[in-house]
Amino acid sequence: MARFLLRRLITSVVVLAGLAVVTFLMTQVLPGDPARAAAGRNATAEQVAQVRARLGLDQPLWDQFLGYLGRLAHGDLGTSVFTQRPVLDDVAAMLPASVELVLAAMVINVVVAVPLGAFAAYRRGRAADTAARIVALLGMAVPVFWLGLMLQLVLAAQLRVFPLTGQLSFGHQVPRITGMTTLDGLLAGDWAALADALAHLALPAVTLAAAFVAVVARTVRSSMITTLDSDYIALARATGAGEFRVVVRHGLRNALVPASTILGMQLGWMLGSTVLVESIFGRTGIGAYAVTAVLQNDLYAVIGTVLVIGVVFVVMNVIVDLVQLWLNPRLRHTGRRRATPVAA
Amino acid sequence: MSRARPIERAALVVAVLVAALAVLGPLLAPHDPYAVNLAQSLQGPSAEHWFGTDVNGRDVLSRLLYGARETLPATLVVIAAATLIGTLIGTLAALGGKVLDEVLMRITDIGLSLPSIILALGLAAALGPGLRSAVIALALTWWPGYARLVRTLVREVKDAEYVDAARTLGVSRLRLVFAHILPNALGALYVQTTLDVSAVMLVISGLSFVGVGAQVPSAEWGAMIAAAANNLTNGWWAVVFPGLAIMLTALAYNLVGDWLRVRNDPTLREGAR
Repeated sequence: MARFLLRRLITSVVVLAGLAVVTFLMTQVLPGDPARAAAGRNATAEQVAQVRARLGLDQPLWDQFLGYLGRLAHGDLGTSVFTQRPVLDDVAAMLPASVELVLAAMVINVVVAVPLGAFAAYRRGRAADTAARIVALLGMAVPVFWLGLMLQLVLAAQLRVFPLTGQLSFGHQVPRITGMTTLDGLLAGDWAALADALAHLALPAVTLAAAFVAVVARTVRSSMITTLDSDYIALARATGAGEFRVVVRHGLRNALVPASTILGMQLGWMLGSTVLVESIFGRTGIGAYAVTAVLQNDLYAVIGTVLVIGVVFVVMNVIVDLVQLWLNPRLRHTGRRRATPVAA
Repeated sequence: MSRARPIERAALVVAVLVAALAVLGPLLAPHDPYAVNLAQSLQGPSAEHWFGTDVNGRDVLSRLLYGARETLPATLVVIAAATLIGTLIGTLAALGGKVLDEVLMRITDIGLSLPSIILALGLAAALGPGLRSAVIALALTWWPGYARLVRTLVREVKDAEYVDAARTLGVSRLRLVFAHILPNALGALYVQTTLDVSAVMLVISGLSFVGVGAQVPSAEWGAMIAAAANNLTNGWWAVVFPGLAIMLTALAYNLVGDWLRVRNDPTLREGAR
């Protein structure tokens, strides 16, 4: 077990180092003068020279890289040209809204995909299975940004069931405690604001979840099929346990282990996909921030977002490994690596 | 051999049809896809404009036909480039000795450990917006999956008896790799690449949608949706049809890929799909 953990931790450190190299190279291919870009559009020649010295741009590449690592270690991700604020502050301010969105999408994902996959496995080869397969295929083929626009068109603009954009309607206000509007509404005990925030969260969360449901449902289905065919399920049936109890308590519980890996990985992927969802729904999260930064040619802000999402991703992987160890005691002894994660 | 079912045959037809439409687009398009005609702005679907017109009065159907000539080739270039890089790195890792294997696989791990859309966004931003940047960025982030797959496939084949036999006969190393190992190892690769067509297409159009990929006035499908999104309520057709085009194409390639996967893997043939 210690070996397994150690190996995973070393891999994580290697990935983080790789991330640092990749983002450093991004700053190098920047067309034009990076010192000018970092100093801002309206900087004087003197300020640019100062920034150049501060960033060490007059030094050899290797020293520059070490300097870059040093700044990263101090949480210095550079200054956004657009907002004129440190990128780390911007990202920290935006991250809670994205985390809120990702968590909501994850809840929808689990609530829809797990029963769908389990039911499809239970009714293998019949109408329900085919229906689940069609849902999964559509989910994997639909462009998320387009799905978001369609939901907006029908449910917000036409039927007016949900608000069109934003995180909170005009007139409501919540104190900023966590930065997640729903949670802040809850903590403040403002039920009207909470309901309003949830209504704003619904469509983006469904949009973000759509592509991921298909993968989870497939995984649950195939592991559930293996589980349902196994001897201990036959044994459970033979002892006279009710069918629901057999399928859910004995079957699904064990079939969920592979799904838990995928779900953990998906949290990271979802955070990446906020790039496609947040700007449609006018949410102020890091996905929307990254898109704005790209369009403003605000390279340090883009790289800052890439770094933060990358780090979250790596941390998620470590957590997934720990959960795997906890769920699957066999891993503790063999020290085997887990299966390759499935990309969404 | 599993025979194609009706739905899979239909998918194959759609996949081929979309490719044919992309090739023949200029011959079939009823209007000039780039000609701005503000008098015809945001006309709904009609006999003259089957899919309506966009805010600039351009025929949506004609733009879709031309757009296929951007979205599809971009997707194919990404897949081809990523397959090439992945095959090279995977083969080197499998045959090149322990140290090289370890180094290349750790690099591959890095690529697999980060969301490709975020990496591609950063790279495309660094390279400057444009479809070409998006294609390069995505190719550079998509190969690690192939590298790992090819490494596994080559390792399975490299110790086979016929490879030993060829080696004993004095076949050169290079020839051994290209004529004996790779052709037999890569059978499973085309299944994965077919399955990836839809995923790559979604990311390409997504990058164009957020403004990193194809630029105005391109008719790339994601860029078309982005340009029409501001007039969603009074010109839904300019958003709906490009999206349907992406979805239908992605669905068709998914079904074909799924069918190839089942055909290629005997363990999947009975009920397990």
